[in-house]
Amino acid sequence: MNDILTIILVLIGAPIIGCLASGIDRKITARLQGRVGPPLLQPYYDVKKLLSKDNMVVNPSQNFYVVVYLAFIILSLFMLVFKQDFLMIIFVYTVASVALVVGGMSTGSPYARIGSSREIMAILSYEPVLILYALAIYLLTGTFKLSALLDASSPLLMYTPLIFIAMIVVLNIKLKKSPFDYSTSHHGHQELIKGMTTEYGGPGFATIEIAHFYEYVFLTGLIFLFWASTPVIGVLIGIIAYLLVIVIDNITARVYWQWMLKLSWTILLVISLVNIAYLYVSGVKLV
Amino acid sequence: MIENTVMLLIIVPLLFSLLFVALPKSLYRYLAWAFFIIGVALSVSLVLGGTGVVPVEGPNFAMYENIVLLLEVLVILYILAVSAKYKNWPTLGLGIISAALFAYTYANVPGAEGASFNIDPLAQLMILIVNIVGTAIILFATGYMDQYEEHRHLNRQKIFYFTMSFFLAAMNGLVMSDTLGWLYLFWELTTLCSFVLISYNMDEEGINNGFRALSLNLVGGVAMSIGIILLATNYNISSLTGIATYAGTDAVALAALALPVALLCIGGFAKSAQMPFHSWLLGAMVAPTPVSALLHSSTMVNAGVFLVVKLVPAYANTSLGTAIAVYGSFTFVICSALALSQRNAKRVLAYSTIANLGLIIASAGIGTPLAVAASMMLILFHAISKGLLFLCTGEIEHTIGSRDIEDMSGLIKKAPLLTSIAALGMVSMLLPPFGVLLTKWVSMEAASNNPVVIIFIVLGSALTTVYYSKWLGTILSTSMDKNAVPHKKLETYFPLSVLGLSIIGTSIFIFSIYDYFIRPQVEILLKVAPAVTGQAGQFTSEIGAFAYAAIFAVLALAILIYLATKNMFTPRTAGYYMCGENNLEKDRLMFRNGLCSYEKCSVSNIYLQNIFGESKLTTFGYAISIILIVIALAGGVGL
Repeated sequence: MNDILTIILVLIGAPIIGCLASGIDRKITARLQGRVGPPLLQPYYDVKKLLSKDNMVVNPSQNFYVVVYLAFIILSLFMLVFKQDFLMIIFVYTVASVALVVGGMSTGSPYARIGSSREIMAILSYEPVLILYALAIYLLTGTFKLSALLDASSPLLMYTPLIFIAMIVVLNIKLKKSPFDYSTSHHGHQELIKGMTTEYGGPGFATIEIAHFYEYVFLTGLIFLFWASTPVIGVLIGIIAYLLVIVIDNITARVYWQWMLKLSWTILLVISLVNIAYLYVSGVKLV
Repeated sequence: MIENTVMLLIIVPLLFSLLFVALPKSLYRYLAWAFFIIGVALSVSLVLGGTGVVPVEGPNFAMYENIVLLLEVLVILYILAVSAKYKNWPTLGLGIISAALFAYTYANVPGAEGASFNIDPLAQLMILIVNIVGTAIILFATGYMDQYEEHRHLNRQKIFYFTMSFFLAAMNGLVMSDTLGWLYLFWELTTLCSFVLISYNMDEEGINNGFRALSLNLVGGVAMSIGIILLATNYNISSLTGIATYAGTDAVALAALALPVALLCIGGFAKSAQMPFHSWLLGAMVAPTPVSALLHSSTMVNAGVFLVVKLVPAYANTSLGTAIAVYGSFTFVICSALALSQRNAKRVLAYSTIANLGLIIASAGIGTPLAVAASMMLILFHAISKGLLFLCTGEIEHTIGSRDIEDMSGLIKKAPLLTSIAALGMVSMLLPPFGVLLTKWVSMEAASNNPVVIIFIVLGSALTTVYYSKWLGTILSTSMDKNAVPHKKLETYFPLSVLGLSIIGTSIFIFSIYDYFIRPQVEILLKVAPAVTGQAGQFTSEIGAFAYAAIFAVLALAILIYLATKNMFTPRTAGYYMCGENNLEKDRLMFRNGLCSYEKCSVSNIYLQNIFGESKLTTFGYAISIILIVIALAGGVGL
């Protein structure tokens, strides 16, 4: 009974939080650029409007991938909430990412294909870091199941500061924020062409937006895990990380994907490995 | 009962190979159907017959032993003759060494009184793979070879089907026989079959690649026969179970076995095309696609990992085991990187095969019950998915006339069914809830105590996601040209559907498969079973849980939601966005450029040739893998 309640709560609560987070993002971004910005609920109005529009598609099956994207984002969020195996959550989340990539490519549009190609490179950049994060959790608790983190005596962050830094960058990549927003953008000056999602409009695009709301919650949830033993601090760290991402988004310019690949396969990977090596050598356990 | 099935599994494919020679081409279709049905029936009846040892003793044994000796002599004579004929001196040299080793064995190693076939759960599983996937591939070939030969002006189908069937017979013998001498004969027979099949086109390229396969596998064979001689003369061991029993006595015995076992493993590495030997499998691409499919999924490369897994008791939790794990995971990561840089679909698949076999070897080397279980499950799932993907690539090549991944964009419009099956195969290689990903999950969890291995596996699996999702996206993309017509033959689509349904079936019934085949086998090998439970669609180990039922449910739900809402938001199709410079009057595939003429717009995937290209990584891979093999051997002599 309790489980069903949680499911309903997550199903309804997560997009509301995600929508607000997205609204806050736009508000802060506007202020940083000296604008007033749209109302806080603008993302909600956007989705509402999109849902009322015509379903324009290039390829009749392109919306299928969007539904898979949404379904697997929600599934990975559920798995996170129910404290499942973290490695598995990453793989399920990969299904969602691949679905969006394939959806973009399936349209056959040149812009969408470029965006998708770049997004594949983003997957290559962040996936090793995510799995090393899972490995760190395993080394500290002896299991990949997240339930162990709640019983931990001290927070994860104490022993994984370097992975935390890497994860902030991953958050930037995953939320497609500058400097890593090239997979959803092509034109520097105007964003009519949004990379992978260029050929989506109406209800299809609305679904992507809704999935993004869930994804916001899921990704900050990954940051929350760093201090899951005291949930209040965990949430706080999640919020701080999110705000940090918005600030980084506003103070950096878009880079080439090659640059990001180099950054992640050298610096991010190396600091994560140093952290992992420390965990191996010291043999600390959280439980 | 089980004795008869064992004999039939070797004799029936031999009989079919003779039938293919004796009967005219017009009957091949019916022969292949019969072979498929009989192969399925025989392998299922072997599984139903239960496990057991089939000893061959007395007068029967004397007769068989003479046949074995005769065949070994024939194999060596054939190798010598063919390498002399084509003036391939390295192969001739290796043939002479093999002959000398054979003569030495014959003269000095005491003869056995009997031999035996050991039907354990792993052998049953391999028999299922060989006789269902293998015969499905032969069936597919009947719908494929005519067009293939027509293009190349060949007429050698008799030899083709003879060797393919013979290959299955040798493979059946290999996975069932417990006696090392017999195993070695079947081993060399598969080497020979692969040589004949790879050089099938009889042009210079084919023959060169055939000889490369022959010579590299002979290197493995030489290592293996030295290992067998050492085992027989020093420890009086002549069977696989004998190795396990001897290794189980005490730590001294275990350490003593390390060198011969490492030598046997090198034989396995060569057969599985692991890194310093990998070039033969890439060269094997020149052969017709059914040959590649057979080599990559149900025969040849599986023989190598099969042997490595069977030897687990002799190296689990030793320094040799760790060396093998590091070696396997290194091959996994380097070949995944190489696969990323390839545009040729068959080369992508070949590198992906080598990588996945590396993962199997790494899992076996880790040697924990969970890891060994993962290695066996990966053999099964990889065989089905890779067999399917190769056959699909062959059929795609016949449909669009190219095996370049870039040419495959728009395939979903040209051949929807074929593309959907191929997409299923690719998805099964990289995403949950399908079996390959599950085993990857298990091996990651199992490897997490070995820092080097886990990091290699992590990087390799990220690379795997990249090269498969990029290919998947390409075949599913729609371009607006459609100028190819798929050939809808029953012989083509039936095997594809069988393999596609097997992917789904084995993934759904993964826990039953685990319970029936894998767990008992791990118990045989390591005396302990992995602590895995399977309540309510979950695969729960001591360190994590894999809720595959939930993923299947969500996938089904997503499909239902899509179908239900499809009509709520009736789609309107439009041409895609080209900054307003679409040319609506022409084929809509072109841009209108500044000169008001038309230019074709083409976008290609990212291949990172200058980071992961063959020219960048191959030498590096050779160096490291050879060092790792030397370390494995040195771990064998107790360094």
